[in-house]
Formats: sequence, structure tokens, C-alpha cells
Amino acid sequence: MSPAVRSFVWRVLGYALVLEGMLAPAILFWPNFRDNLGALKTLAPLPMLKDMVDELGQGGVGAYVVGQQFFKGCNTLGTAAAVLFAMGAVAGEAHRRTLEIWLARPVSRARQLTERYLTGAAALLVPVYATTATIPWLLARVDESMELGELMLCATHQSFSLLAIYSVTFLLSSLGRNPTGIAVAMLFLTTFQFAIYLVKQVTHYSFFRLTDVRVFMKILGSGELPWRFALPLLALSVLSFAGAQLAFARRVP
Amino acid sequence: MLPSPARDRRIVARGLTRRFGDKLAVDAVDLDLGPGGIVGLLGPNGSGKSTLLRMLVGLVRPDAGTAAIDGAALAGDGTAVRRRCTYAPGEIALYDEMKGREHVAWLLRGRGLGALRRALDLAGALGLPMEKRVHTYSHGMKRQLLFVAALAPEAGVRILDEPTEGLDPSKRAHMLGLLEEDAAGGTTVLLSSHHLGEVDRSCDQLLFLNAGRVLSRETADSVHAREARLLVVDWGDGAPDATLSGALEGLGAESVRVAGGRAAVVLPAPDPRAFLARLAADDRLPAPRSIEYGVTSLGELYRDVYGVEGT
Repeated sequence: MSPAVRSFVWRVLGYALVLEGMLAPAILFWPNFRDNLGALKTLAPLPMLKDMVDELGQGGVGAYVVGQQFFKGCNTLGTAAAVLFAMGAVAGEAHRRTLEIWLARPVSRARQLTERYLTGAAALLVPVYATTATIPWLLARVDESMELGELMLCATHQSFSLLAIYSVTFLLSSLGRNPTGIAVAMLFLTTFQFAIYLVKQVTHYSFFRLTDVRVFMKILGSGELPWRFALPLLALSVLSFAGAQLAFARRVP
Repeated sequence: MLPSPARDRRIVARGLTRRFGDKLAVDAVDLDLGPGGIVGLLGPNGSGKSTLLRMLVGLVRPDAGTAAIDGAALAGDGTAVRRRCTYAPGEIALYDEMKGREHVAWLLRGRGLGALRRALDLAGALGLPMEKRVHTYSHGMKRQLLFVAALAPEAGVRILDEPTEGLDPSKRAHMLGLLEEDAAGGTTVLLSSHHLGEVDRSCDQLLFLNAGRVLSRETADSVHAREARLLVVDWGDGAPDATLSGALEGLGAESVRVAGGRAAVVLPAPDPRAFLARLAADDRLPAPRSIEYGVTSLGELYRDVYGVEGT
């Protein structure tokens, strides 16, 4: 197994295991959650959290599952993975001074950067789909069910969001030399975005409004992707990748 | 699809220029090297050697000028050029977590299985432990790994940035011997060094670079002939430079440079005995602290022969 494939496999396995580790106990806990919704609502410290518990109560198991897998799992762990997988893509090579040997091979820069982008993106998104695919089986353990196709649509929408974060970080990595600095900046930004999501007065300014329980419930209800949100996310990814290619083409080792 | 330009095993550059901010790293360099032979690019640190070599292989885009390597014009990101030549960077930074074998395979991506086989044979001949991880390698072993990857592929041109830096004399001689064999087969090798005496014996031609410009083009023989006419006499601070200069010129030196009590004397012939006899007989001059003959460092060559200070 080549070092690149080995690294890919470890990243996918590690990230998928943690994601599944967050998902499986949550689903198996569903009956307890359902029976204690009233008490949980009184315990919620923020108005936004009370609203969320309300939404979960009204939406039933579907809202609970998308909340656990996408809003909680992917928006937190997935965001961290997106930043971690992209931060060193180019800046990491510059930081460890291996950029020169990377670029010295007889392979075009555009191809090398595209390969790196796609490998990272696959490592980021494969676990989202793989863990989502386990949901119907897990739900059957607690006598519930959901359509796999609808869940995969939710996973696709979540992927657009994670891909946008990954692509912006990838662009910064193509421009910079300090992967730690890039990671700190991106994690600060995303943590700040998550924090303002929880404040009712400014929640509509948060990036995470695009991937909250309400959006996923609409997907489950309509059986369609919310293109009003998905297209800008895809456009951001495409523009960031194009910017990364431009920056990388002129990069000096 | 257009046919590939014919291979000519040459390195051609016209007016190659690169600036980093205010610093002119490479200033309108022209080259016409090969086919075949080893060319040494010599110059002190910061003279522009690495930038010039990186431009030739497309790693740094020139601000002006053109180049062609083995018939392929330097354009875009330089992939066409890198397909026709091999390159070993001067800076040793490798993926420490890879095994030697994996690393060579990684470096040789796009070069074919034959190149990998040759690289493993070469590595075996050099005694590199290819099943060990690179983090266990010494500086010299890492240098040899890069060298092996640059020498293994079939190529008309090889560009090597300080390939012998940090190697012990026997390994250096081994590597230069391999390059000489390769060049004898028609490959053009351009290698850089900032140590005169490390590589010059293997080179058919020497290019001296300073402040981004080619200062002089020499052969190893012509440099050694210069060395044979250069006498360095040091009086320390005890004697005024003007006195030394006047006295030495009167002793039949072809030219004299004096600074800080140190005189670099270019002799009229490659034999110092007559001049030393006159020097010993001249009672206007105090006894020197030291006399050096026939040994010239790159810095001394620049200072004493080319009159370039600060090297």
C-alpha cells in the first residue's frame, strides 16, 4: 500500500469511527430521549436550545436523527475534519520544506493539486455517507425506521456544506505557509459561527443556519435538495478550488 | 496534437531574469551548455545558483527570458521541461515517515518502472538502507537518496543543486564518478556547488556566478592555471597597504591587490620561486606571517582574481 493510500485509509477510518461513535449511542438512546422531552426542555439553558428541543419533539425520530448525525456530528466533527484535512494540503508542504520535491516531479501542478483536493474531499465525505448508511439499521434496533434515500439526500446537502469549509481552507493552504495558523483561523471562524447560531437575535447570520434541523426536515419532507442553499455552497467550493489552482500555479517552493 | 520538439541534450537560456522584491536574484543569464559533459555552476551562498537552477526546471517562473532543456521550451509550470530532465534540489527535506524504497518510488512518479529498478540498484551500490524509514537516515544518506532519484531515469539533461554537499570525500568521489559515466554517455549535467575543489575536477566547464550574473566561464584547467599563478602573502596589520602594494609591484608581479595587510599577487608565470626569492631579498618589507600558494577557495578566487568583494 502506498503512503498516500495508507494515509487516506487511516483518515477515513479514524473519522468514520468517531462519527459512528457519536451516532450509534445517540440513536440507541432515542426512546429515553422521546420519553423525557419535557424534562429536557426545562433543562435547556438557552432559548435557542429550547426551540431546538421543541423542533425535535414535533419532528419526532426524523428530526432527532438528522439533528444528531448532521447538525451535531457533521457540523462539529466534520467541520474540524474539513479544516484538518485541508490545512496542510500545500501550506504543510511549505512548512516542512517538501514543496520543492513535490513540485519537481514531472507531473503538472494542476494535476497534483487536483489529486490532493479530491483525496482530501473523499476522506472528508466518504465517512459522512458511510455512517449515514448505518442509520436505518440502527433505527431498527429501537423499532423506528427512515428511508435511506432521504437520508442520503441529507448527507449530500451536509457534504456541500463541509466541502465549502474544506475548499476555503484549501485555498488558504495554497496561499500560506503556516498550517497551524490557517487551522486556528478557520476553527475560530467556525466556532464563532456556531456560537452565534445559538444566540436567537443573530442566529440568522450564522453559516450553520444552512445545515440545521429545519433545513434537513425540509429535505425529508420534500425529498429534494434545497438548491437555494446548496448552490451558493457549491459555488463557494468551486471558486475556492479555482483560486487555489491560480495561487498554486505561481507558487515558489 | 503537435509533435514533441526534438531532443538535443542541451541547456539553453537567454536573458533569464528573476527578482524577489527588491533583490535581483538572477540577472539576464545566458547559457548554452551541452550536448554532453558536466558543467559546474559555482558561486557563494546567495549568488543566485539555486534560483537559476529552479528556473531551468520550471519551479520558479522567470520574470524575463527564455530557456529550453533537451529541446523542450520552458513554458507554463515547466512540466514539459521536467519530463526531459531530472532535478535534485539543494535543500534536503524529505518525508521522514516513508521508507527509503517508498520515497524513491514517490520521487520517481511519472518516470517509469525502469527508473525505479535502476534507482534501487544504485541505492544498493551506495549502501542505502531502502527498507528503513527516512527519519533514520543521516544528512548524507538523504542527499544520496535525492541523487539516486535524479540519476536513475533516462534523461538527456540532469540538473543537480549541490549534490555533493555534506558528503564525505569517498562518497563524493563515488557520486562524481557515476556522473562522469553518465556524461560520457551523452547526458548534459549541470551541477552547482559553493566549494571550489569539490566538484571542479569532474567538470568540463565551470560557470562562476555572482549577484545573479555569470561572472566568468572557465575550464577546470584554466582555474588551476590561475591558482598556479596566485600567491597570497599575509603581513597582518603591521604593514601599510600602500607600502606593500608599491613594493610588490616593483618585484615583478603581474597584478597586486592589497587589503588589511594581505596581498594577493598574480605572478607572471606559474612558478613562485623567482618572485619569492626577490621578496625575501627586499629589505623594505617586514617578514610575512604566512604565504599560501596553489590553494584557492571560491571566496579567494572571487576576491583575488575577479575582484568581487563580500563573497
